[in-house]
Amino acid sequence: MNAEETILKLNKKFPALEAVSPRHMRVYTAFTDPKSFEEALYYANEKLGYHKGKHIVGTDEGADIGISYILSNDDNVLLVLRERVPKSAPNVRSMGELYPSLVLHERELVDLFGVHVSGLPEGPRYPLPDCWPEGQYPLRKEWNPAYFNKQTMTYEPPKEDDAK
Amino acid sequence: MSPHDKNKVVVPIGPQHPSLKEPGSFKITLDGEKVERAVVEVGYNHRGIEKACESRNYMQALYIIERVCGICSHAHTSCFCQAFEELAGLEVPRRAHYIRGIVGELERLHSHLLWLGVAAHEIGFDTLFMYTWRDRELVLDLLARIGGNRVNYGVNTYGGVRRDLEPELMQDILLVCDHLEEKLKYYADLAMTETTLIARLKGIGVLTAEDVQKYSAVGPVARAAGIMADTRIIEPYGVYKEIAVTPITDDHCDVYGRTLVRVKEMLEAIRLIRLFVSEIPAGPISVRAPRKLPAGESLSRVEAPRGENVHYIRSTGADMPDRVRVRAPTEANWHGMSHMLEGFQLADVPIIIAAIDPCYSCTDRAIHLVGDGVNQLTDWEQIRLMGIEQYKARGIDPSAIKIREF
Repeated sequence: MNAEETILKLNKKFPALEAVSPRHMRVYTAFTDPKSFEEALYYANEKLGYHKGKHIVGTDEGADIGISYILSNDDNVLLVLRERVPKSAPNVRSMGELYPSLVLHERELVDLFGVHVSGLPEGPRYPLPDCWPEGQYPLRKEWNPAYFNKQTMTYEPPKEDDAK
Repeated sequence: MSPHDKNKVVVPIGPQHPSLKEPGSFKITLDGEKVERAVVEVGYNHRGIEKACESRNYMQALYIIERVCGICSHAHTSCFCQAFEELAGLEVPRRAHYIRGIVGELERLHSHLLWLGVAAHEIGFDTLFMYTWRDRELVLDLLARIGGNRVNYGVNTYGGVRRDLEPELMQDILLVCDHLEEKLKYYADLAMTETTLIARLKGIGVLTAEDVQKYSAVGPVARAAGIMADTRIIEPYGVYKEIAVTPITDDHCDVYGRTLVRVKEMLEAIRLIRLFVSEIPAGPISVRAPRKLPAGESLSRVEAPRGENVHYIRSTGADMPDRVRVRAPTEANWHGMSHMLEGFQLADVPIIIAAIDPCYSCTDRAIHLVGDGVNQLTDWEQIRLMGIEQYKARGIDPSAIKIREF
């Protein structure tokens, strides 16, 4: 299935996705809520033949975390399906059962963005070291590497009083 | 726990790597000599490259991206430049595409030669290891003449390339190709006829076509299972839009198949380099690139020696990227690793791991940490001082030796 057919089918079934193809062999969709995203993901897998999980891109969307799943089919079209969850409660479900190749990328979401991925198979964390401090998520925009003390492995942003 | 389970042994291998000079940890559960379960732990090389790119301008980010990998640095910058050029709407000159192609195929040659040597070493065939690494030096010398460096050649820039190829250099490239072709034909013959090598590699580390689809394996690992996963063919870019790559696959689905694919790919790389050199058009090698990119996003892919590279850039219209994501081929190939190891012998573990040609730096895209105490990593100077103390304890004082400053 090529990009144009993918867009037609996706937009017919899930108009909120607003799928577009800005270039050959690429389909991008808009951010959606986790429930709609899951429905679209299963539809893409089962009905549209996107059975290869390529990778996941986490993005900082201000108050939310954006998660873009990049899938591919036998025609090698890259489909970007996205969901967004609030930073205050970034809960998503693991898609590892459907796409075993995305488990490592989901672990990255946990370590680098602080997303809670339920249903992740047991295994070592990735990619941060075991001694990495709890609650520090380096790819969130508010996380500044200049405040990370490499000697003590602690994150020490200036206090408000210091800033004044 | 059943009585049978009591006989099982968990062998922690690594992070000192069983086959390469890079860190990775493998927890291998053994039933006798047979691998029953394997848990792969990577991340020891995480350097925070993506975060570093987000706080630097695009030109600075390109130099960081060049250092994602020491072996396939050109593949990473090609992929990143492509993503940038798509967003900027740049038309890269044809000559630049050809130069990118020549350097890319030279890089494939040196990467595969390196791999063949490592694989030979893992199975105790050190003569082949010496031969291939000797031959690889010829390619590295050429790359050093092109870019001034054996690795991280710095050829790519946004809108084209930074280095032109003089006719004399191109003649030397052809001479090296002639020399290498002869050697590679011998290695191909060796791979197909040498009984010890075949017996050691055949039937181990199996990943079938169905497994490749399930775990989304890429590069020679996928092609050795009969899947035509080569970005140069499935989504031609740059010079590959003009000069087609001959598909190379194999149906052994094992370490032997991966060896055959890589050896044949080196011969194909030589064919491509000759074509690129003979067809290279005259003209400019770059166009002026903007400092800022318009808001948008781009997903680019190229075929690195180890497989498909995927780079993502998101721009907000500033002079630095809002988000950079690098998915290197090794990151894709880890997912099938446990499956490849399970059911085989402990002695096969190093060569099975080596057979995906893993690159940990690529996978981890690495925050460099130094310090003391429990939670720390050690830097080079600390390692040197520790070494001096150890020697002193043995009655030798090397502290007067001056380290050459570069």
